[in-house]
Amino acid sequence: MASPARDFYYRLPMRAGSQRPGSHPGTSHGNGQEFVTHATLFSRPDPRRLDVRASLRDVRGDWLVRVMRQRVGIPVWLAADVSASMVFGESRTKLAVLSDLARAIGASASRVGDAAGMVAFDSHEREDLQVPPSMSRGIGHLMAAALDDPQLAAQADVGERHAGNPVDGLAAALRQLAGRQCLVFLASDFHFPLARLDEALDPLSRAYIVPVIIWDPAEIEPPPLNGLASLRDAESATRSAIWLRPSLRAQWREAVAERRATLAAFFANRGLRPFWVQGAFDADAMSEYFFEANA
Amino acid sequence: MIAGLNLPLDFATPWALLLLPLAVLPLLRRRREELTFSSLAWLPKDRLGIWVERIGRAAAVIAILATVLALASPGRPEWEVDRIGRGAEIVVLFDSSLSMDDEMLARGAHPKRRRDSPLRKRNVARQALSAFVERRPADRFSLLMFGAAPFRVTPFSQSPDVIQAGITAAGISNGLPGTDLGRGLMAAIEQFNGRAYTGSRVILLVSDGAAEIDEITRQNIRNGMRQNRIALNWIYLRSVNWPRLDSEKEPEAVGLITDVAMHRFFKTLPTTYKVYEAESPDAVSKAVAEIERAQNLPLEYKERIPRRDFTPYFYLTAILACLGLLAHRATTVRSFSR
Repeated sequence: MASPARDFYYRLPMRAGSQRPGSHPGTSHGNGQEFVTHATLFSRPDPRRLDVRASLRDVRGDWLVRVMRQRVGIPVWLAADVSASMVFGESRTKLAVLSDLARAIGASASRVGDAAGMVAFDSHEREDLQVPPSMSRGIGHLMAAALDDPQLAAQADVGERHAGNPVDGLAAALRQLAGRQCLVFLASDFHFPLARLDEALDPLSRAYIVPVIIWDPAEIEPPPLNGLASLRDAESATRSAIWLRPSLRAQWREAVAERRATLAAFFANRGLRPFWVQGAFDADAMSEYFFEANA
Repeated sequence: MIAGLNLPLDFATPWALLLLPLAVLPLLRRRREELTFSSLAWLPKDRLGIWVERIGRAAAVIAILATVLALASPGRPEWEVDRIGRGAEIVVLFDSSLSMDDEMLARGAHPKRRRDSPLRKRNVARQALSAFVERRPADRFSLLMFGAAPFRVTPFSQSPDVIQAGITAAGISNGLPGTDLGRGLMAAIEQFNGRAYTGSRVILLVSDGAAEIDEITRQNIRNGMRQNRIALNWIYLRSVNWPRLDSEKEPEAVGLITDVAMHRFFKTLPTTYKVYEAESPDAVSKAVAEIERAQNLPLEYKERIPRRDFTPYFYLTAILACLGLLAHRATTVRSFSR
């Protein structure tokens, strides 16, 4: 089910060093609107930027040119969790929502001249799903196609055990982004212990991370019917059963609120603000997220 | 066979037990019956739910188990209990000849044959026997009647109703022609053939007279009495003016009377023999009471209890388990959708 790619506004809220002209605040000098300093025409022989008023005022009588800062393009990465728990959803799976996000990222990136790419992980790094960064317009659809692959859902359905911790896969996938200056959308449902997530995120010290927390309405809100539900964990295949009743629903909602608070506190410690996706990806909400970040 | 707690079970169609492994099926969980959830870790642990789930699974196992066992038709096999009764196994050999319809009268009165007269020998004997049987619930009785030929009224039975009905039946018909005592005795002896010896055995001959028995039959009777160890009691309903059996006077002349001849033959039997002469209803009762005292030894015998079929109980269990399963299914939430 392909939804039209809704693009969103995004700007890096920090300066990035890059040679590629783009739309994010950069550190390099070049064509741009942002004035930095004056330089002599000899040191910067660009008569188009000659500042006559400044030259007249200059006591040494040098010809001065304006030095401007160039806006830069950066790579935008989507780190996509494709573990079995993502193949869950009441009407659409979380993986489908994630592919919407991938399409929106591709569309937005090509609009502002950024390259977009994707790394994927479950309990291992999924190199088969990796999409190298590209400025191509269709990059969003390429990423979405990789995520929409029915084989992913089949693997989860067969109950292939992902014995390991998704954090291991995440760490391996992020290692290739280590030290780069980029924008990373870390999209997952974060149904794993957060203990070593810090460690996995540490290599991305220079990147700007947007944690995208994708939850399904069926996870947040318990079913309204009373009765027995035999459940099976998508990841570990452990089994359990619950008798749905009002008091249990209260506990359920409590657990969701608690998890939400835990995640918010965890990312706040790293100076990050999670972006919540519940049921469907809202591009306008994502734009707003960046407006707030840049404010 | 049945000892304390270990209840023996047998199966009428044991091959059905081959289906027993089917009972494991509900334990093999199938994906279709479960809802996949992304992360159980954040759901509350619900012990109630886990137990309801287990009970449902157990109901499924029990339903299959009970059905398979019911198909095998289990039951408790036929078995025997040892019972000890006081008394004896008694064959009542009842003379049904025409002369038994005579009335028992005091000396000097003329005997008449009136139907329904309570004084008829037949009725007097029946009443005495009936009372006798009633007082001895532990004894096993068999009732034979004989005229020209013997016929069995009831086989050995302890049921008072059966015996009383047999005794009542002895009074229905008029007398039969002929008195073949030899065949009657042989039939009475045959009653004991093939039975375990569990206590004293008695043939109670109720008769008002005897008949000649030829030498071969005598020999057969003698052998049969010895082999089956049967005592003979004879309630001799003596007719008026007949000589006593042990008459001292004129033994030779009296010996020509068949009754006396029989008495003498019976005395030669290898087993116990006793005669009770009675010429009035009171005397009959007295004779019966005397027998009662004599035959009061403990009797040990086995009672057969037929096979008990447990199949309905197993089907009932299966039905109950299926009802539980239905309830379990009805309350199961099948999807997260609202």
